[in-house]
Amino acid sequence: MNETTKKVSLLSFGTLILLIFIALGVYSAVFRFTYGLGASTNLSDNVPWGLWVAFDVLAGVALAAGGFSITAAVYIFNMKKYKPIARPAILTAFIGYSVVLIGLVIDIGQPLRFWHPLVMWQHRSVMFEVVWCITLYSTVLALEFAPAVLERLKLDFLLKILKFFTYPLIIAGIVLSFLHQSSLGGFFLIMPTRLTNLWYSPNMPYLFYVSAIAGGLAMVSFESIVSAWAFKRKQETDIISGLGKGTAITLLIYLVLKIADLAYRGALPLAFDGSTAGRMFLFEVGLGFVVPMILLFLRPVRESVGGVLFSACLVIAGLFLNRFNTNFFAQLGNGVTYFPTWREIGVTLGLIALGVFLYRLAVLYLPVLHEAETEH
Amino acid sequence: MTNHWVDLKNADVILVMGSNPAENHPISMKWMMRAREKGAKLIVVDPRFTRTAAKADIYAPLRSGTDIAFLGGMIKYIMDNSLYFKEYVVNYTNASFMVNPEFKGPADLNGLFSGYDAKTRKYDKKTWSYQIDEKSGVPKKDPTLKDPHCVFQLMRRHYARYTPDLVSSITGAPTDTLIEVYKTYGSTGKPNRVGTECYAMGWTQHTVGTQNIRAMSIIQLLLGNIGMAGGGINAMRGESNVQGSTDFGLLFDVLPGYVPVPSAALPDLKAYNEKYTPKTKEPKSVNWWGNRPKYITSYLKAIYGSNATKENDFGYEWLPKIDEGMNASWLMLFDQMYKEKFEGFFAWGQNPACSGANANKVRKGLAKLKWMVNVNLFDNETGSFWRGPGQNPKDVQTEVFMLPCCSSVEKEGSISNSGRWAQWRYKAIPPLAESKPDAEIMNELYFRVKKLYQTKGGKFPAPIVNLTWNYGEMDKDGKIHEVNTHLIAKEVNGYYLEDIVDAKQTPPKQLGKKGELCTNFVTLQEDGTTSCGNWIYSGSYTQKEGKVINMMARRKNTDPSGLGMFPEWSWCWPVNRRIIYNRASVNPAGQPWDAKRAVIKWNPDKLDPVTKKVVPGWDGDVPDGPAPPMADDKGKLPFIMTASGVGGIFGPGLADGPFPEHYEALECPLQENLMSKTKINPAVKIFTDKDSGAAEDIFFSCDVRYPFVATTYRVSEHWQTGVMTRHMPWLLEAVPQQFVELSVELAQEKGIKNGDKVVVKSGRGEVLAKAVVTKRFKPFRVAGSTVHQVGLPYHFGWQFPEDGSGGDSANLLTPTIGDANTMIPETKAFMVNIEKAKG
Amino acid sequence: MATTILTPKAALIDLTKCIGCRGCQVACKNWNARATKKTVMTGNFTSPGDMNSETYTIVKYIEHDKAQDVAWDFIKVQCMHCKNPACASACPVGAFTKTAAGPVTYEPEKCIGCRYCMMACPFGVPKYEWDKKYPVVQKCTFCAERIADGQMPACVKSCPPNAIIFGDYDRILAEAEQRIKDHPGLYIDHIYGKNEAGGTSWMYLSSTAFDTIGFKTNIPTKPLPDLTWGMLREIPYKVGGLVAVLAAIAYFRNRGSRVESDKEKEG
Ligand SMILES: Nc1nc2c(c(=O)[nH]1)N[C@H]1C(S)=C(S)[C@@H](COP(=O)(O)OP(=O)(O)OC[C@H]3O[C@@H](n4cnc5c(=O)[nH]c(N)nc54)[C@H](O)[C@@H]3O)O[C@H]1N2
Ligand SMILES: Nc1nc2c(c(=O)[nH]1)N[C@H]1C(S)=C(S)[C@@H](COP(=O)(O)OP(=O)(O)OC[C@H]3O[C@@H](n4cnc5c(=O)[nH]c(N)nc54)[C@H](O)[C@@H]3O)O[C@H]1N2
Ligand code: SF4
Ligand code: SF4
Ligand code: SF4
Ligand code: SF4
Ligand code: SF4
Ligand SMILES: [Mo]
Repeated sequence: MNETTKKVSLLSFGTLILLIFIALGVYSAVFRFTYGLGASTNLSDNVPWGLWVAFDVLAGVALAAGGFSITAAVYIFNMKKYKPIARPAILTAFIGYSVVLIGLVIDIGQPLRFWHPLVMWQHRSVMFEVVWCITLYSTVLALEFAPAVLERLKLDFLLKILKFFTYPLIIAGIVLSFLHQSSLGGFFLIMPTRLTNLWYSPNMPYLFYVSAIAGGLAMVSFESIVSAWAFKRKQETDIISGLGKGTAITLLIYLVLKIADLAYRGALPLAFDGSTAGRMFLFEVGLGFVVPMILLFLRPVRESVGGVLFSACLVIAGLFLNRFNTNFFAQLGNGVTYFPTWREIGVTLGLIALGVFLYRLAVLYLPVLHEAETEH
Repeated sequence: MTNHWVDLKNADVILVMGSNPAENHPISMKWMMRAREKGAKLIVVDPRFTRTAAKADIYAPLRSGTDIAFLGGMIKYIMDNSLYFKEYVVNYTNASFMVNPEFKGPADLNGLFSGYDAKTRKYDKKTWSYQIDEKSGVPKKDPTLKDPHCVFQLMRRHYARYTPDLVSSITGAPTDTLIEVYKTYGSTGKPNRVGTECYAMGWTQHTVGTQNIRAMSIIQLLLGNIGMAGGGINAMRGESNVQGSTDFGLLFDVLPGYVPVPSAALPDLKAYNEKYTPKTKEPKSVNWWGNRPKYITSYLKAIYGSNATKENDFGYEWLPKIDEGMNASWLMLFDQMYKEKFEGFFAWGQNPACSGANANKVRKGLAKLKWMVNVNLFDNETGSFWRGPGQNPKDVQTEVFMLPCCSSVEKEGSISNSGRWAQWRYKAIPPLAESKPDAEIMNELYFRVKKLYQTKGGKFPAPIVNLTWNYGEMDKDGKIHEVNTHLIAKEVNGYYLEDIVDAKQTPPKQLGKKGELCTNFVTLQEDGTTSCGNWIYSGSYTQKEGKVINMMARRKNTDPSGLGMFPEWSWCWPVNRRIIYNRASVNPAGQPWDAKRAVIKWNPDKLDPVTKKVVPGWDGDVPDGPAPPMADDKGKLPFIMTASGVGGIFGPGLADGPFPEHYEALECPLQENLMSKTKINPAVKIFTDKDSGAAEDIFFSCDVRYPFVATTYRVSEHWQTGVMTRHMPWLLEAVPQQFVELSVELAQEKGIKNGDKVVVKSGRGEVLAKAVVTKRFKPFRVAGSTVHQVGLPYHFGWQFPEDGSGGDSANLLTPTIGDANTMIPETKAFMVNIEKAKG
Repeated sequence: MATTILTPKAALIDLTKCIGCRGCQVACKNWNARATKKTVMTGNFTSPGDMNSETYTIVKYIEHDKAQDVAWDFIKVQCMHCKNPACASACPVGAFTKTAAGPVTYEPEKCIGCRYCMMACPFGVPKYEWDKKYPVVQKCTFCAERIADGQMPACVKSCPPNAIIFGDYDRILAEAEQRIKDHPGLYIDHIYGKNEAGGTSWMYLSSTAFDTIGFKTNIPTKPLPDLTWGMLREIPYKVGGLVAVLAAIAYFRNRGSRVESDKEKEG
């Protein structure tokens, strides 16, 4: 087979851990399907959206933004340097979206009706748009990733047909991503009185979009570094520092937009009023956006694998925080509290583990990293 | 009610004192809101800020049991500031009557009236009399109201002590609020301004209950508010048909139509009539009760039919008698039960184990019975008392029978509301399972008891075997298989048993035709030629030109006066008169005091609609008698039910004095009555543990162990002891548990937080409750110190909800003590302690 | 159902008249056959503490200080039946419909249970059947079937002091305005629901400032769905624009020579 499989076997201590988490997830999900949402979560009328929406959907989708960012860089902007990580990025995104879809089905109260929005159209709903985009984009991702499978199965004929559609697919992916990444922020546009003005803004869609790119790039860096370690391969320092630079620039753009937006709406003072929201905001922006941006603009940091990894982690955490803050500050306060049940956490952990496991599986059995190397 | 619900909209000032209509009579608020829309002021006086208070223009707090002080202060204010309606007071009340010079009042006798005997705790009322003019035989009067012995001056002297400062110190109501209330209510003393008063249990459930109402009646007479649209004194009655129940003689001392129950000391009808037929020499007095003999005879004819003859005194002998002076009211019954003075008990449509004051005594009393029959929609704490808290089923010997009866919507009949409107109701659904209408249960009982008397004899079978009981078709054993409510209603209305002819008229006029339903009570006879089950309801089911009409079923909603009297909607006693004493709403010439609110009006040019001849008469509501206005030679005084014909400011009929005087509740936080040396109502009957043997007959006044005033009340979501509402999930969800309301200050003192579980204790028992810490209860400043009051609803019982989360009855706390006149228990003012519950 | 009613209806709650009797709360349960949830006395009379899937309307009891006295306000809350409802706009499957007669109705068979409606509603109205295995959303229906039958909603019908009135929207709004005009000292000069969230079919009059008694006073006067529709409306243009731009960039960036030189530069 390929090089990777020789070095690493599927059965390892890590895999075992993953399987345990997956089992926990499966158990939690079975419980949820058997007893219903109320019995398995701490969701309530005051907090109808909890961990699953915040993590599995809002953050998950954002972190899968690496897929379209890298394909855009490689195919649209022709930054060939990043070609090696295109396929892993697509794989990450594909797995990410698949997991998101599973998460969605677990989260909705009527799982058997997951297909309703595809049939019962309500085109003024952001949710409708997001469901469609995610579904379509997952299809696109499947097709974008299909070559890996086809190569493995040696179905050259189909490969050729797909190759022909590469650009339309890539463009469709980017457009769809733009739409739903921004629409995830768009969800909240209709809740001007639920969110504090630190997060609420008419520009939320754009802020979500830009932050998703930053998060996506950070995620790709993270994954490249970690999978290189995991699969005992050489670190691609060049690509990584490039990604770091890209992340830094995106973060800068984001911060400029965010601060300008806050200032324009007169909401900046809210950050310093000593409230919980204010503190959470400073924490989120400082640790998750400003610090990693500064770090990544520093060449030595950018050129060290550890530095990029650390910064990427901060960005990922910042993105999480941002999505959590947005979601929960839309609901909490006035004595309303929420902490997920261990079953909610179980599902989430299970889904992450599933994602990692699938990634590992794909990398081991399909030409994902392999292709990248040969082309280099 | 002297007036009726809709009439509340005609008031300029509404005083809600002694009731909480927003919670207990919600629909009344509709009319109060209408009045407010037109600028009326709503005043609420209540120990706590209620849902009604939330809508008030003025809210005055007062410590439970101090209403007479509050109202006495108002009487003083009205007199001092000459706010009274002089012409009305002089002509229509006994203010000008000259009282026996030997009469002395609390101002002279330290809280007592003349004639008190401390041993019997009773008054000899000899001195509570009028100076009679020897020539005319009527009381002497001083129309200038200046003579020191006239009622008006006696009243002035009596209430001179009720200064705002003293009243404030007794009641705890701030002086400026008192003055604001007095001023606002006093403004209705003008002919063109009217005030109404709404009271209920907040006034009655006191040792001074009757005098609370008397005090307000005096105010209403002073201000000329009785008989007026938007005026009157309005008892907001309780159980949906409680008006009907008292109208129909449910109390121990009255027969239907408020005809007194005979006592054993009155051997025959003649003696009875002599005693109960008031006489007057006042030529202008209608003295309606002078007709008593007609009503008692017609009643006897209704119940004993052809068995009642002139020869046998119409069966007077068969009527049950009470011993002279005997009181057989609620508290007495349960006291006697506790003392094992009787063996059996029908708990018919009630839940005394929870509703009875001093419920621990009541519950123990039930265990002393041999048998008990519980006629109810549901099992309740009474029917299941033997398995309740503190009872060991093994030790209880009482045999309990449950007779399931059906609810009001499963049977047909009339229901009388507080405004005296008798409205016909139809059966909506058939009775559930084996439940039966009460009438059917009685029917079964009657025929069985009768059969026993017929077959086995007995001490005195006549009262039972001679009863007419012809309310439906009989089977071959002579038993009625289904009671026809219409036949009962007709019997109540009365029949002409012979042709009735008024021989005094020329030519003699036929008043009634044999076999037909009576037109109304005016045609009832003393000689046994008419029957009538309840004279005040005569006219409710009549015959016009041969056609039988159920007047109570009328549903025409026309309102010719615009005052909301709706004369053709249902029927109202007496003779469909919507506002009683309405002759007091016009001046002596028969013209309304306030033309905008003309209840009746004398019309000298009235055209008879049939003959088209001018026959002077009254327009508007059915007047209190057809006589011309007072100024006319043949004119009559307005208060037709009193012998004097006028409203009684001086009221010598009551047990505890002709003027209301402030006394403290049996249990109170004060060492002394600030008003006089007489602390509690001197005429109340005291129950003692020595006498009854019940440890619960114990009281604590001004005792550190029970330092807080308590009261009990209702919430809109529950009904009475909760038997009909605790089983209703929607209502239980809204008010799930026994609670106690207390002030923020008291809560702080006691370390109690909102929602905490607390124990409320009195000398007689304790209940668990959830604390409702609220700014709506404020500590009172009484006699210079702080007095806290708490309050609990009385809707809960141990039986349901089954998990016991509801708690138990607030009556575990209340004492066995009653009003001096009515013996209604004092469940509105007693002393408790409150502590945070352990665990 | 007798007739199709096309004149929009409205209801007005005059809080100055509400006596907090809870007749509406119970009448609503009765008419809509709602069950109950176990409650306990918490020290406040509001019970249950909020609307829930079995309780479409509750009366809130709010005690607050007033001058030297205490004041106690009773506030019936239920779905406001927005003219342009956020819930309907949020719902991906179109389970909500603003009907011509006024009610915002809900078709449970469509619902996927995403709960976006609950997040979107500015008044916190839609509630979820958390205790069911396959829950649906629940909220006040405005008794749409009663309205269609020419009757008033159950809660309105039950209200003893006529604190709630019901009728044609225009008439009800005019009545509200008239009351403020007639009793300027009594009411504060604001009809809650006239403009909130673009206007609602249920409106309130009060003598206490609305924010004192738990009303959200920061709700925009423009319909909330406009906020998301502003974004969604642009999608076709964005898609078109993006496709064109991306294609152009791709075209220029990927022309053979450029690709090579790029490679060199970066390599
Ligand atoms: N929802 C509901 N309605 C009912 C009933 C019910 O159980 N539930 N019961 C019906 C029956 S049978 C009756 S009799 C009526 C009773 O009707 P109400 O008399 O209105 O009923 P309560 O709540 O017992 O008492 C009224 C008020 O008296 C106040 N109060 C207590 N002590 C005093 C005092 O010393 N002076 C004054 N001025 N006020 C005082 C209490 O705080 C309370 O707010 O209600 C009838 N209506
Ligand atoms: N502490 C305190 N105690 C009080 C009061 C208070 O304010 N405070 N208020 C007092 C007052 S005013 C009253 S009226 C009493 C009420 O005292 P009760 O009359 O003993 O109490 P209720 O709960 O009304 O009981 C009526 C019963 O009649 C049943 N019932 C209903 N319909 C029918 C029917 O058609 N036929 C029959 N046979 N039964 C029926 C119901 O199920 C219920 O059990 O309580 C008094 N007790
Ligand atoms: S409960 Fe019944 S009787 Fe009492 S106000 Fe309401 S409708 Fe009238
Ligand atoms: S109040 Fe909420 S649930 Fe009701 S129509 Fe408006 S947005 Fe929809
Ligand atoms: S929960 Fe149901 S009704 Fe609400 S938005 Fe989602 S699909 Fe629509
Ligand atoms: S309109 Fe109907 S559904 Fe809505 S609160 Fe009133 S009764 Fe309930
Ligand atoms: S029924 Fe009317 S008065 Fe009673 S709580 Fe509801 S809105 Fe208020
Ligand atoms: Mo009563």
